[in-house]
Amino acid sequence: MNQYTFSGTAKTVTIGAMIVGVVSMLLTWFVGADDLQSRFWSNFLHNSTFFLGISMMAFFFIAVCITAYAGWASVFKRVWEAMSANMLVGFIFMLVIALTTYFHWNHLYHWADAAAVAEDPILNGKKSFLNPNWYLFGTIIIVGTWVVFGRKMRSLSLDEDEDQGHDFAKHRSMRIWSAVFLPIMGFSSAAMIWQWLMSVDAHWYSTLYAWHAAVSWFVAMICLTILLLIYLKSKGLYKEVTNEHMHDLGKFLFAFSIFWTYMWFSQFMLIWYANIGEETTYFLLRREEYPILFYANLAVNFLIPFFVLMRNDTKRKLGSLAFVSLLVFIGHWLDFFLMIKPGVKITRDDHGHMAAHGEEVVHGAAEHGIHESVASSFEVGYTIPGLLELGTMIGFLGLFFFVTLTALSKAPLIAKNDPYLDESLHHHT
Amino acid sequence: MAHQDKEVIYGLYDDETDLLKAVKEAKDQHLEIMDVYSPFPVHGLDPILGLAESRLHIAGFVYGAIGTLTAFLGMTWIFTKDWPIIFGGKPYWSVPAFIPITFELTVLFSCVGMVITFYIVSGLGPGVTNDYLDDRITDDKFCIAFDMSEVDGAAAKSFLSDTGADVNQKII
Amino acid sequence: MSGHVSPIRPPLVTGNKTYHQITEDLISPTERVPSKAWILGLILSVSVFSFGAFCILWTIWNGIGTWDLNRTINWGWDITNFVWWIGIGHAGTLISAILLIFRQKWRTGVNRAAEAMTIFAVMCAGLFPLIHMGRIWLAMFIFPYPNTRGPLWVNFNSPLLWDVFAISTYFTVSLLFWYTGLVPDFASVRDRAKGLRKKIYNFLSFGWTGSAKHWQRWEYLSLILAGIATPLVLSVHTIVSFDFATSVIPGWHTTIFPPYFVAGAIFSGFAMVLTLMIITRKILGLEDYITIEHVESMNKVILVTGTIVGVAYLTELFIAWYSGYVYEQFAFFNRAAGPYWWSYFGMMFCNVLSPQLFWKKSWRRNIWLTFFMSIFINIGMWFERFVIIATTLARDYLPSSWSYYSPTWVEIGIFVGTMGLFFTLYLIFCRVAPVVAVAEIKAILKTSGNQYVGPDAQHQHPKDVKVESEPNHTSI
Repeated sequence: MNQYTFSGTAKTVTIGAMIVGVVSMLLTWFVGADDLQSRFWSNFLHNSTFFLGISMMAFFFIAVCITAYAGWASVFKRVWEAMSANMLVGFIFMLVIALTTYFHWNHLYHWADAAAVAEDPILNGKKSFLNPNWYLFGTIIIVGTWVVFGRKMRSLSLDEDEDQGHDFAKHRSMRIWSAVFLPIMGFSSAAMIWQWLMSVDAHWYSTLYAWHAAVSWFVAMICLTILLLIYLKSKGLYKEVTNEHMHDLGKFLFAFSIFWTYMWFSQFMLIWYANIGEETTYFLLRREEYPILFYANLAVNFLIPFFVLMRNDTKRKLGSLAFVSLLVFIGHWLDFFLMIKPGVKITRDDHGHMAAHGEEVVHGAAEHGIHESVASSFEVGYTIPGLLELGTMIGFLGLFFFVTLTALSKAPLIAKNDPYLDESLHHHT
Repeated sequence: MAHQDKEVIYGLYDDETDLLKAVKEAKDQHLEIMDVYSPFPVHGLDPILGLAESRLHIAGFVYGAIGTLTAFLGMTWIFTKDWPIIFGGKPYWSVPAFIPITFELTVLFSCVGMVITFYIVSGLGPGVTNDYLDDRITDDKFCIAFDMSEVDGAAAKSFLSDTGADVNQKII
Repeated sequence: MSGHVSPIRPPLVTGNKTYHQITEDLISPTERVPSKAWILGLILSVSVFSFGAFCILWTIWNGIGTWDLNRTINWGWDITNFVWWIGIGHAGTLISAILLIFRQKWRTGVNRAAEAMTIFAVMCAGLFPLIHMGRIWLAMFIFPYPNTRGPLWVNFNSPLLWDVFAISTYFTVSLLFWYTGLVPDFASVRDRAKGLRKKIYNFLSFGWTGSAKHWQRWEYLSLILAGIATPLVLSVHTIVSFDFATSVIPGWHTTIFPPYFVAGAIFSGFAMVLTLMIITRKILGLEDYITIEHVESMNKVILVTGTIVGVAYLTELFIAWYSGYVYEQFAFFNRAAGPYWWSYFGMMFCNVLSPQLFWKKSWRRNIWLTFFMSIFINIGMWFERFVIIATTLARDYLPSSWSYYSPTWVEIGIFVGTMGLFFTLYLIFCRVAPVVAVAEIKAILKTSGNQYVGPDAQHQHPKDVKVESEPNHTSI
């Protein structure tokens, strides 16, 4: 069986998940809302960036494999192609965020408030980067480029199926597209992460932030790949994907979980060690006010994959792989939660203060972090993900799988003319 | 290792594919192979020979864990009990600052321990001289050896020549 | 595994080699009488090294005052050279470990020499912090051991002490990894030798017999060591970067330093491997083992890491502006437009711009250009460290103490001397050990030899061994 048909339970479940998502988002909008709708918008931002990043990373990994002559994964590369179809969805969602920011329909970003920027010298200095125009056009140009590259690669891959010749012209062409994409992705993903995510804490900055977030995406992508392959195998498809391939994916999950921890630790330790107020506020706030998430982030994203996947047999058993993948996927979703929500909460609270006390706004992230927030209260949806957050995530996940499976059903599961296919079919770790 | 003379009959093959076939054949004929020698690790040989999976990684894990504990507990004791010092306004027990050394010692203990274990269990090491059968084994020959006291010499000899080997005998 | 190789993979061993031919080609250089070029090279290296040793003695005898360090620039060429050498020392373990895990078969052509180079580079690097201490006879104080001073412990919270642990661990592990890889090859040398030579190599080969169980354990050990050495290699340059990044000095305290230093280290290490291998393959006639494909692959790694380093430079620059922190902004303005602008320009030009030449395939495969670039890149990487260290220190918070620094002849002499040491050791290594891993080349012959794969393959794929083995569990 070399063809996946997307129907029946899978369709029902993904559509059901999407309905759960829509209902959760509607509830977030109408129930328990404040007038800024920050909870709704931050959930939207959280999931849009998270899943867009995952689909971009799927494409990135195809490009890496082609450039590095890595053939082991050729047999299931269609899965990554299908996952990268989600870049278009993410593009649309990010466009929604960018447009609502442009028209001030949301209040996710402190810097988007012209009045606040005017009296804040720091934000004023960043104005030429942090502004709604750049946010909108940057998103359009950069994510647009990703989408174009993704679609080009997909069409080359489909053409390759028809290609009877043995000169691998299509593959050579893919190699060029991949090589060009890598530096583009390297520069542009950082720029986007600064704008979408880091600027939530508009005063704060860290040079490693973008790489840390990108690795988070990558690990989550590997998790979803493993889960999807296990699902497809349970349907009797992809018999050619053996334990050897799963073992290698397990290794990637293991290795990049460690790499993520390295990034996390480097960023945390350097800021903790130097102890500069403008910087420590970020982690101080998270450690003091979000202790459970703060430590759970490390436990789930480092300790669990490290200890479970250290052994060889756990990397080869689908059960343990699925278990770890699911946990780590949620773990990275929480990591993004922790990156976004505290900043959004402060921005929202400030806005409230501003309304109430006029000029009495404290400037500088340091003060925000320490004085105000420590006093603020526990709040579901900001301090910890509530049911609505979970529901929203399920909705986005459902959509992600819906798009992926639809794309997967459009083409044979195995790219039969891939030059590495023979190697991949006989892959041994 | 106490040295005792052994009479060994061995065959040299030219290619690893011949070796693999012969080993399989020997297993089928229930000939007790003393050892197989090759100039490089031959893939697919271990399972046919029935070699148990190496347990070096378990040893490595244990050594590494000892390293982790040594470093972490050592620094904890020194900086909380033996000689506490304040640096940069941090608490005595500054876990993030202990991580780098803890990591390094974990790696050091694990690697050094594993390498030493490898040499000891393999009977290799500085000053060790093991008798080896043929100079060409480290060049381009693949060798199956039988201990004459464990197999029927004639059967082994005919097996080796039947499978295309160059047959030799040696006392080691 | 044999027989299932993608048709678009280029062969990595050319010249229709047989196993015996491989032994012959790779081991005979250790058996020949040294060539004139080698002797000349050795004399030159030893002389340069002797001058370096003299400068070190001069420093120890007269004190650090013989260097031109001053109030604010208390780290100059010494630490620049230290970081530079440590960076170069990353390629060996990287090639052996990370490329082993990623199954890049081309690593077998260069891993042995790269590992040797790593060890020599780390030795050169370790020298600088030691002499920079001033009282080198108290160097053992850097290790924690029971002593009569309290016992007074070292400060485990100091990144400088982390360096001590990182570098000594790295040196030890690299040495073990390299030597364990050499043992089977020493056995090959032993089995071809006679007389005293045989005795020496018998000792060096640790009694290796080539037994299947030994090979199994040996491969297993290599793989696990590779797995552990991968984070180790990252940690070493990470910890070197912590020396700077844990401080509160603008331009030093930036969180991207750890991965950015690692990328830079890989970059410069690969460049040094290329410099050495291009000469070695020519002189020892190893063009069939270190092919143009190897050179091209390494040039690709250089392009990738050079670009990563470029992303990091721009990230730093951008975030310095973005931070809105005037000292940070000034630090970067000063790098690009201050008194040391030329070193910043050199760094950007050599490290980021010039590797972009390698986008062109024919240039990646051009030996002369590659050789030239490999030296160019190491000059650029030296500038990078100089920019980070001296340029930053030359302009601190207090304008009245701003200063300028240029090295004395002693500092230059020590640096040049370490190059002498490095090349001396490398030349000796070329004579006593096979420069290319013999057993590993044999192991990839059937999947990478030009008679088996690539355009000239004779389609005489090794008869499919019908004993399809159980998957081997020898992986981490």
